[in-house]
Amino acid sequence: MKDLIKDTIVKIKKEHILPESKWKYLARKYGVWFLFVLVVIFGGVSLSAAAYLLSSLDWDLYRFMHQNRVGYLLSIFPYFWAVLAGAFIIGAFFDMRKTETGYRFSWLKISLITFGSILVLGAVMFFAGLGGRFNSMMANGVPYYGQHMMVTKESQWMQPQNGLLAGTVVASSDKSLILNDLIGKKWDIKIGNETLIRPIADISQGQMIKVIGKKMTDDQFEASEIRPWIGGGMMGGVGGGQRNGMGAGRGMMRGN
Amino acid sequence: MEKELIQTDADLIELSKKDPEIFGLLMERYQGQLFHYIRRMTQLPVDDIQDLLQEVFIKIYQKLNEYDEVLKFSSWAYRIAHNHIIDYFRKTNARPQTNSLEDYEWEKIVNASIHVEKDIMNKDCVEKVKECINQLPIKYKEVLILRFLEEKEYEEIMDILKKPKGSVATLIARGKDALTKKMKEKNINCF
Repeated sequence: MKDLIKDTIVKIKKEHILPESKWKYLARKYGVWFLFVLVVIFGGVSLSAAAYLLSSLDWDLYRFMHQNRVGYLLSIFPYFWAVLAGAFIIGAFFDMRKTETGYRFSWLKISLITFGSILVLGAVMFFAGLGGRFNSMMANGVPYYGQHMMVTKESQWMQPQNGLLAGTVVASSDKSLILNDLIGKKWDIKIGNETLIRPIADISQGQMIKVIGKKMTDDQFEASEIRPWIGGGMMGGVGGGQRNGMGAGRGMMRGN
Repeated sequence: MEKELIQTDADLIELSKKDPEIFGLLMERYQGQLFHYIRRMTQLPVDDIQDLLQEVFIKIYQKLNEYDEVLKFSSWAYRIAHNHIIDYFRKTNARPQTNSLEDYEWEKIVNASIHVEKDIMNKDCVEKVKECINQLPIKYKEVLILRFLEEKEYEEIMDILKKPKGSVATLIARGKDALTKKMKEKNINCF
């Protein structure tokens, strides 16, 4: 039996074997953490952009589009950002597992840490208003995304064939409106006695509005409901100018 | 004189970085444990085990700067040895064996897995049990060896295998179950 210790020391000396430098090890160690932080940031960006898109859409339109809630949700879901956020969550999970002490945490703990940090960062970015910016940056930087993959409030409301229209009021009277839609086309909007105008919807000249109704001809649209461009127009409606027996906060009818 | 005063592994590691002779003291401390671990995990002749052990020590020496004191040095050294053994099996395309265990070592694993009524198993029974353990997947064999032959705590096995503590506990429990099941399948009832 050979003298292992002596032989090993001789080999180390003879072959000039040296301990690997510390910086290499530190670069690897912190590199993995740096990657984790990066993945979490990208995950947060994706989540905030998805949240922005979801929050900017109108959720009650399924009723006017003859769809059920689930079908409608599936049609407006921000798949692009959701898939991206999912991929970053999975990436962060495995990256954390690869850190020096990652193995010490259970799968559940790592899942909670990675998902939690992406969720918190995404929420902070969303409330700081960054979600919309990320979405715009993507739409500008990747035209295919903007044209084919993004369901926006604009695309949601520019479906006259489905009874949804939005634009800026050019002129208004008691019985009609002239609306310049989001792509610059002029529409004659008929307002009848049964048209519901939401409490804070301002239909004076220069205001942006959303209209629910029916396309009559190529440039005529019959309004059944008018909403302000931002929000559903419910705020301020309680006790505010109801006509024709509409419940409090639902809006008012024109014509009486 | 200085060598005698040095006590902790951490001290030895620091000095070994400058003087390979000091590394000899670390090797002296762990060569027995690591030799038996490699023997238990492989089925190699003594000379080959020593060659593997020398490679493990050289790897440890090369990685001295990676050692983090949050780990026990022995766990870290076992981890390097474990990875080296797995690499060795990959390179040689061989499967880890456990035939090289001594009879008392087989008994330790079996005792931990099933209720043994008799203290001593007979030779024929040992052979049958060996066959059963050999048929276990490596992931079970390695934890059973670490837990019941190397007598490592769960935390140490966790650090050696780089697996969460829960996974280690599960592997040990499943390994024991698998062994018991295999023995029942083969109608081994010689205790």
